[in-house]
Amino acid sequence: MASEKLRVIVFGAHPDDCEYVAAGTGAKWAAKGHAVKFVALTNGDVGHFAMAGGPLARRRAKELAACGKILGLTSVSLDNHDGELMPTLENRKTVVRLIRDWRADIVISHRPNDYHPDHRYTGVLVQDAAYMVTVPFFCSDTPHLAANPLFLYCDDKFQKPAPFSPDIAVAIDDVVEKKLDCFEALESQFYEGGCNATADLVPSDAAGKAARRKQVRDRMRGEFARGERFRKALEKRYGKKAAKVEYAEAFEVCEYGRQPSAEELDKLFPL
Amino acid sequence: MSRIAWSLGLWMALAGCATSTGDVSPMKAPLPAPAQLPQDGKLRIIAFGAHPDDCELREGGAAVKWAALGHHVKFVSCTNGDIGHWNMAGGPLAMRRAAEVKQTSKLLGISHEVLDIHDGELMVTMENRRTICRLIREWKADLVISHRPNDYHPDHRYVGVLVMDAAYMVTVPFFCPDTPYLTKNPVFLFSEDAFQRPNPFTPDIAVAIDDVIEKKLAAVEALHSQFFEGGANGHAGLVPDPNDAEKVAARKKVVRENFSKRFAATATKHRAALEAYYGKDEAAKVGFAEAFEICEYGRRPAPDEIRKLFPFYTK
Repeated sequence: MASEKLRVIVFGAHPDDCEYVAAGTGAKWAAKGHAVKFVALTNGDVGHFAMAGGPLARRRAKELAACGKILGLTSVSLDNHDGELMPTLENRKTVVRLIRDWRADIVISHRPNDYHPDHRYTGVLVQDAAYMVTVPFFCSDTPHLAANPLFLYCDDKFQKPAPFSPDIAVAIDDVVEKKLDCFEALESQFYEGGCNATADLVPSDAAGKAARRKQVRDRMRGEFARGERFRKALEKRYGKKAAKVEYAEAFEVCEYGRQPSAEELDKLFPL
Repeated sequence: MSRIAWSLGLWMALAGCATSTGDVSPMKAPLPAPAQLPQDGKLRIIAFGAHPDDCELREGGAAVKWAALGHHVKFVSCTNGDIGHWNMAGGPLAMRRAAEVKQTSKLLGISHEVLDIHDGELMVTMENRRTICRLIREWKADLVISHRPNDYHPDHRYVGVLVMDAAYMVTVPFFCPDTPYLTKNPVFLFSEDAFQRPNPFTPDIAVAIDDVIEKKLAAVEALHSQFFEGGANGHAGLVPDPNDAEKVAARKKVVRENFSKRFAATATKHRAALEAYYGKDEAAKVGFAEAFEICEYGRRPAPDEIRKLFPFYTK
């Protein structure tokens, strides 16, 4: 860390994934003046049942911009086709340059065993950028980092070859409404239901539309109520107060980045 | 001017024509179509193996049992097996092995396809992901079987990766929009292997194949280039003079015994899994078995759905 301010970069596969796993923690860091950037490695252009290609990519980029405003950070997508992210050297270099350009202290991504191929390859690409960001003559056009950042995985429920281990958990009760606002703004994915939905999900009358909005907000509220799931990790950080935590995000330390002590890790995260 | 008028007229005629045969204007492009599922009440199973013999060895028994009940089974070999012999290779071997799996699919009562990709050269490319995705969609699969991505051969591992990467994507309408998508993610299964890292195979499902073992062993015998002749690591010493009936019979017997042992070892190793499906008494009597692990990326079947997908259990 060059200054007291942290620099955090989060990689997700699609234009909604960073928000899904780290919007709360991101908003809390941003509120304290830390620099946070969300990057979707694909443009999400097959992520809808009735629209696709360039128009959908642009629509989703706008949705990200709205999320960024809500959270007080930058949220962008790269112009790679959705469903086609591959662990190529070109993509590795792109990720390395993004981490270096952001001068990241902390890098967050999916685990390489999440459910979607784009998620898995995001995990692989970010893992493959760890350490390489410190090698001066790898991507020698972009100043290298003197120290390997801390690399973290966001949570998922997959068990093989190993389950997610919540090394650190963050209570997000104070910012959960902001996180939920994001999921209203990610209209193509949640209100309209994304690629596996049908047109009848969205009612045509105003009352029906309002009810659908509420339905989405309630469902996402339920999804982000992960206090119970991460109770042990929360107790480690918050002691007795952990019992009251309803909404949480959790992260696992990747073995390929800097390995901080438990106290150091605790200090890097907002309470 | 006349040219402009002419092209405007042509444009209008074409536009009119397009309207009368279905709107194809860019603002109202037709949506990708979901696959129309056959209503015959039968299951649809597609298995991917790396080489023209892999599906037969790992799910040949279950395939016979499904096929006997009228369910639709297809085996796909993702490579043509064209270096799978110690003294022949290339096109002639690919054709020979295609003929072998044609014969085994007849024996088992199933469909088959061999992809024309060189043996030992299967890679995780977008093109191959699309091929697998289309094959699963075209078969309208309820159940997809592949190798685990940590089996011994690179082709096996990449079949595992490619099939895993097709899971879920088969349901995304605008991914390969040329092929009707599935509205329901199939159940994806891994076939058995012995590798321990990063994690060992878990026998979530075990099937007794005693009632069909003769057909499975007949399929092994039909895969002559691989087992009788020994495949890539074989040698001339294995292959007797075809006119020496006694020696030919002896070699056949050796192959049969080796594979009998292999299929029996699965029953022994996964006895606990067999007990879960057959009960302790019946499981104790099982001589030959096949086992499968449920992949986390497909639909996760509840125990009663597993019994519908494997309609072989009486209990």
